[in-house]
Amino acid sequence: MSYLKLSRFLLGVVLAAAGLLFWWHLPVSAEVPQQAGDEACRLCHSDTNEVVTLPTGDEVPVQVDMAVLAQSAHGNMAESPLACSDCHQTINDYQYPHTDVTATTLREFQLEKSAECQRCHVQPHLTSHPGPEAENGVACVDCHGGHDVAPAADWQQPGATATCANCHNRSGVDLVDEAALTAVIQNGLFTNQTDSNYCLSCHSQPGLQVTFANGDTKSATIDADAFHSSVHGVDSERPLNCTNCHENHQYPHEPVTAESARAYSLEMYPLCANCHEPKYDQALDSTHQAALEDGNLDAAVCTDCHGAHDTPVPNEPRERISHTCEKCHSTIFNEYATSVHGDALLTEGNSDVPTCIDCHGVHNIGDPTTNLFRIRSPELCAGCHADEELMGKYDISTQVFDTYVADFHGSTVAIFEHQDPTVETNKAVCYDCHGVHNIQKPDDPQAGIKNNLLATCQQCHPDASANFPDSWTSHFEPSPQHNPLVYYVNLFYNIVIPLTVGFFAFMVSTDVYRRIRLSLK
Amino acid sequence: MADKTEKQQQFPRFRLMARIEHIVLLVSFTVLSITGLPQKYIEAPFSETMIGWMGGIEAVRMIHRYAAFMLVTGSAFHLFTGAYRSLVKKERMRIMLRLSDARDLWDTIRHNLGFLPEPPKMPKFNFGEKIEYWAVIWGTAVMVITGFMLWNPIATTFILPGQIIPAALAAHGGEAVLAVLSILIWHMYNVLLKHRNFSIFTGSLPRHQMEEEHGLELERLETGGDPWPGMSLPVLQKRRRNFLIISVILSSLIMAVLVWLFTFEQTAITTIPRVTREVFVPLATAVP
Repeated sequence: MSYLKLSRFLLGVVLAAAGLLFWWHLPVSAEVPQQAGDEACRLCHSDTNEVVTLPTGDEVPVQVDMAVLAQSAHGNMAESPLACSDCHQTINDYQYPHTDVTATTLREFQLEKSAECQRCHVQPHLTSHPGPEAENGVACVDCHGGHDVAPAADWQQPGATATCANCHNRSGVDLVDEAALTAVIQNGLFTNQTDSNYCLSCHSQPGLQVTFANGDTKSATIDADAFHSSVHGVDSERPLNCTNCHENHQYPHEPVTAESARAYSLEMYPLCANCHEPKYDQALDSTHQAALEDGNLDAAVCTDCHGAHDTPVPNEPRERISHTCEKCHSTIFNEYATSVHGDALLTEGNSDVPTCIDCHGVHNIGDPTTNLFRIRSPELCAGCHADEELMGKYDISTQVFDTYVADFHGSTVAIFEHQDPTVETNKAVCYDCHGVHNIQKPDDPQAGIKNNLLATCQQCHPDASANFPDSWTSHFEPSPQHNPLVYYVNLFYNIVIPLTVGFFAFMVSTDVYRRIRLSLK
Repeated sequence: MADKTEKQQQFPRFRLMARIEHIVLLVSFTVLSITGLPQKYIEAPFSETMIGWMGGIEAVRMIHRYAAFMLVTGSAFHLFTGAYRSLVKKERMRIMLRLSDARDLWDTIRHNLGFLPEPPKMPKFNFGEKIEYWAVIWGTAVMVITGFMLWNPIATTFILPGQIIPAALAAHGGEAVLAVLSILIWHMYNVLLKHRNFSIFTGSLPRHQMEEEHGLELERLETGGDPWPGMSLPVLQKRRRNFLIISVILSSLIMAVLVWLFTFEQTAITTIPRVTREVFVPLATAVP
């Protein structure tokens, strides 16, 4: 190969490489929207005094202000420019001469054009305005205009609601809470869920009412502050929006179908199960649910105890628990309030004493009148009263449960509990002597059991005499101080039994020794 | 008896009445133990199983009381026949403890341990049987008295201080354990393990067992002694009539007292009717 041939070859390779590199570095051309016919449209529509006259006599100007269009959200300078024919799409719109406008009224024409928006904006933002099909419907173009459609950023400006106000003033509809409305708009109308503030911009107005078929009324006014500070409020861990529970969020709302205010509550409360299913399921086993199924519509459901919109933390402060039950069980609460437990809770804020739910359970509150509840109740009391750490704080004996079970009443109840917990036994349980909700300190001068022991025994043993109460060992283990007779009888047998058994065992073993000795001989 | 060997020769030991009394005691004592001990050791798992088998705690208590009635009736009958034999027939009460019993106990221990070549010759009731008999008398008395108190605590505390009831319960349980352990160790060893002694059922005991345990009685019987020495018949018939009149009066009195005692009160009173009250009393302010 000659030198020349080689240099030509190298030159060719270099050129080819350079060309390849150049091709790679060519800028990728932008996708220019197909603005077919825009020039043709603009030729006529940018400067004309022609109008389209509708059958009603309304006139629609044919001229388009090209400068305004250029600045609009869909202008050719905008992020998403549109060509004329993107909206004016029916085939004849861009053939000349155009066919006649089919709309018979100006409003019909506006609604037709609004429908075009929804080709791209398939899910228009949620609005409380009645839709185009309503009598006084609001269509896209009413707020957003046509060729002068404003970009979204413009709606974030403080004065944007002027558009709303203008329209409302014109049509004589009060515009509610303009500041809240601005906030909603600024937060973005295209969020997935309706912002609660949006609903509250109406529902925080006082005096709103729902009337039910039976004449009941229920306030539809929501205390916005209470809602926001509730466990579901904005600052909570998992805030809820109105629409999480109320699916009927289109406006105008569909009419409520419930017969009565209570029926509406009963219709709504299962929604709690959407998030709180375990608790809801527990409540299905409760005595409240059983009463409800028996037709007692007053029986408590989720919202009766927890509230609907102003749901507070249910156990803060702790007194709230018992006050919640008080709403329906006021007489029992009044007894409890005077008891040693209730008094400590309500006047001292004591956190050790039981509230209603510590004995009755929370969501699966059982029927306290069953044999099962009665028979198991001593263990319920023992849950605290056999706890040495807890009782130590108050210098209360923890022998109460063991001494109870060791006694006739307690051992019978214990046997029943293990064998037939649903069978009735008339042997006393803790609360038969100490009282149920009105439990007092044993040494209370008036109501304490120690000063009323005979009367307490006579509740079940009407013939009992003054000596009889001493046959109860008062929860003391026998000792030389307490129940000395019992103590010494036990001591006697603790000595006599080993002595006797030892003597017999000795005699038997000597006899066994004799027999072994004789048989070995 | 001629065809039997000397060893197997049977000697009369227990009267028919004694055998019947023993069966009543055997049955009532066993039933009382089986129904009573699970109540004393109520927290033991096996107690609950047993109570379950017997139909629950209330059923167990009823069975216990019926067996108690049986025991008390048998005990009263024993007192009557004892009174008849000692007062009417003027039999010597050979069950009474004597000083010689202490000597027999000492000699038995020495013999068992190999310090005495021959066992002591013992009377009709040897020291071991006497200990057992008087233990039963003492035990039954304790059990009947404390049992009555537990059965009728309200009546008892009309007279006695209240603490007598838990004390009676303690004694009732302690005595029960003492009795059952004594029977299991001493009685069962002597009549079943050491050798099979069924004389309390058959009424008679073979010669070799008589020799071992009742040497003196064997000698007496073999020299023609009456097993139950009594008095002449004509005098007896007169005394018997008097005793019959007295005992009929007394026993009907005792039976009346027994029935009165056992129906004295209903401790397990009929259940106080439940109080029903309105629980739904909503506050005046509407529930939100």
